[in-house]
Amino acid sequence: MLLRVENATMSFDGFIAINDVSINVEKGQLACIIGPNGAGKSTLFNLITGHLTPTEGKVYFHDQDITGKAPHTICQFGMGRSFQRTNIFPRLSVFENVQVAVLSHTRKTLNFLTPTRNLVQAETYALLEDVGLVDEAHSTSGTLSYGFQKQLELGITLASDPEILLLDEPTAGMSPQETTNSIALIERITRERGLTLLFTEHDMDVVFSVAEKITVLHQGAVLAEGAPDEVKDNPDVQRIYLGEAA
Amino acid sequence: MATSQDTLHDTVGSLGKVQGALRDPVLWGFLVTFVVLFWTPELIIYMEWADYWIIFLTEVFIWSLFAVAFNLLMGYGGLISFGQAAYLGIGGYTAGLLLKYFVWMNFYVALIAAPIGGAIAALVIGYFCIRRTHIYFAILTLAFGHIVYLIAFKWYDFTGGDNGLIGIPVPEWIMDPTFANFYKFVLVICMACIYLLWRIVNSPFGKTLTAIRENEVRADFVGIDVQRHKLYAFMIAGAFSGLAGALIMINDRSVYPDLAHWTQSTQVLLMSLLGGVYTFFGPIVGAFLLLTMDADITENYPEIWQLFLGATLVLILFALPGGIVGFIQERDDSLGDDMATRMAKMMAQFSRKSWYFFGGAVGFTAFFTILQAPASWLISEDWDFELLSLITWGLVPRTVLQIVVGAAVLWWLLRGIRAYQPLHRWALLAFTILSLFLHIYLETPLSGLILVFLWVIYSFYILLQPDARQAFGNGVAVEAKDPAREAAE
Repeated sequence: MLLRVENATMSFDGFIAINDVSINVEKGQLACIIGPNGAGKSTLFNLITGHLTPTEGKVYFHDQDITGKAPHTICQFGMGRSFQRTNIFPRLSVFENVQVAVLSHTRKTLNFLTPTRNLVQAETYALLEDVGLVDEAHSTSGTLSYGFQKQLELGITLASDPEILLLDEPTAGMSPQETTNSIALIERITRERGLTLLFTEHDMDVVFSVAEKITVLHQGAVLAEGAPDEVKDNPDVQRIYLGEAA
Repeated sequence: MATSQDTLHDTVGSLGKVQGALRDPVLWGFLVTFVVLFWTPELIIYMEWADYWIIFLTEVFIWSLFAVAFNLLMGYGGLISFGQAAYLGIGGYTAGLLLKYFVWMNFYVALIAAPIGGAIAALVIGYFCIRRTHIYFAILTLAFGHIVYLIAFKWYDFTGGDNGLIGIPVPEWIMDPTFANFYKFVLVICMACIYLLWRIVNSPFGKTLTAIRENEVRADFVGIDVQRHKLYAFMIAGAFSGLAGALIMINDRSVYPDLAHWTQSTQVLLMSLLGGVYTFFGPIVGAFLLLTMDADITENYPEIWQLFLGATLVLILFALPGGIVGFIQERDDSLGDDMATRMAKMMAQFSRKSWYFFGGAVGFTAFFTILQAPASWLISEDWDFELLSLITWGLVPRTVLQIVVGAAVLWWLLRGIRAYQPLHRWALLAFTILSLFLHIYLETPLSGLILVFLWVIYSFYILLQPDARQAFGNGVAVEAKDPAREAAE
């Protein structure tokens, strides 16, 4: 089991955002968490990546307890994450965005004197190639289109050579065309690198086309879990979630 | 055998490094500037200008070092420290106390102790400050800075309180009559330190710091230990500020609590803002300008100095939010433009900004004329029509002449540059140097230096970048290089 969340509970001043949630993600699995707004998806992600420490419960990665570890430590263990709101370094160039991540991964950030210009060039370009941004390498990343920025964020995430990708709404705010491209990109990279994927998503078409396992969160608790078809047929899920859309 | 091969490999490697370093234009820039500045005192003495300028430039160097160190935090790390003067004070007092109380203390040891003291203080203070962000960080640094100031101010037995430490022994050679020795001493230290800081901001550490400034959450989740890097940055800034403080102490041969006062912190903040926060050399330009204005205006109009400073700052923040050097470096690289469009935009921008520059230079000159000789508006009494005794002309005729002649020359230059004529590019350089000599001839070398300095970095950034270099001399090649069009054909 690659990632294991055990009975995690998170309460903010008495408000219980996550209630006794357990999730398992196996190596190589494409797992998805869905749920209506406010179901606690992002909070759950924050618990896993160390941005929040669960009030109760444990998080294991490779059977190692990572509960309460700092995000940068968890990242170094081999977990990559993208954020719901695009999270890049807006005033750096596209190249520098990825380069910084590579430098961090190769533990070079405490080098005080070597000019950065010539460091980790090949690695950075390989990553840009992977996410299709070589042509934009020297543009200021903040001026890129939204879809490109999401691609860049994926590049930054991949730079730390993660085993598991946690993507928080990778297609939020994208046009249908951008969504298609972006999903194709994510699927390709996940398969090529043999990554494990855990993502949240609003777009049901995307969810059912990509996910091998779906977990439904509702009001901070797991409502249903299983293969896409099982979840689709679950009456509870249809009532609280799919029912609204249908 | 293996050992000798390794040695050979190392030698080749280090030779390669040396060659690489020699190709670094910035290093060359530093060396040339160093050589020029090193012989400047001789020039000042030879030209029989006031010795004051040597002392003045010494102060500029020290404040430049302080401002660049401060800007490592503000510009690169996004950490606005309102108490940076604390480290100036700590450095000054560390070296001062050592020299004052230990007769046997070696001067250089005391000097080296200053940055170490600054770094240690920054480690302790920074440990608390970096745990907070934004305004809380700023307030904490201000508070700690004030504590340092009060310790210096009140602890009479140790620091001499508000009497300061006076009569600090320094080596004989520092006190030569023209202060040229100390000038050179400071120049060597400051240039070396600023070059070191340049290497630091361009190192992986510097890039990481910029990433933290841009987005702390993301930096954290690419595996960067944000607080550790911030603390190191704080210590580096503290160390170099401490060294600057020790140099100020040696310059005055005394040290007062005022050195650590928060007004010094705002002074260095203003230098960074004025020159350009997101640039490396901006704070140096800012320090130069601020101290020049300070020297010129305080002398004649001490009562309006603060007013002038405030007005300048408001102007900078509204009109040039990136500071002066930021304005110079700013480029419009919209995505999707082909090369011809990019070049056209760049040249249009170059023209536009050159006119701003011209306007600024004329306004600057006129302003200082008003300050220095407000009586002669139209024609001064000892007026005679000689082209090169412009200084005796009244303000209005002189300014009009400057505008007419200057505009004609600039118009001709810019027209040629927009057409990528290499001749005009050289002419631009020639006129720049000419104007410097004119200023020297007119005995206003300082403002000449400022203008030429700004102008040279400006044209360097626009006209010497690879795209532009290609275009000059083969005007049509601009279109041919456009890849999209090549593909279409």
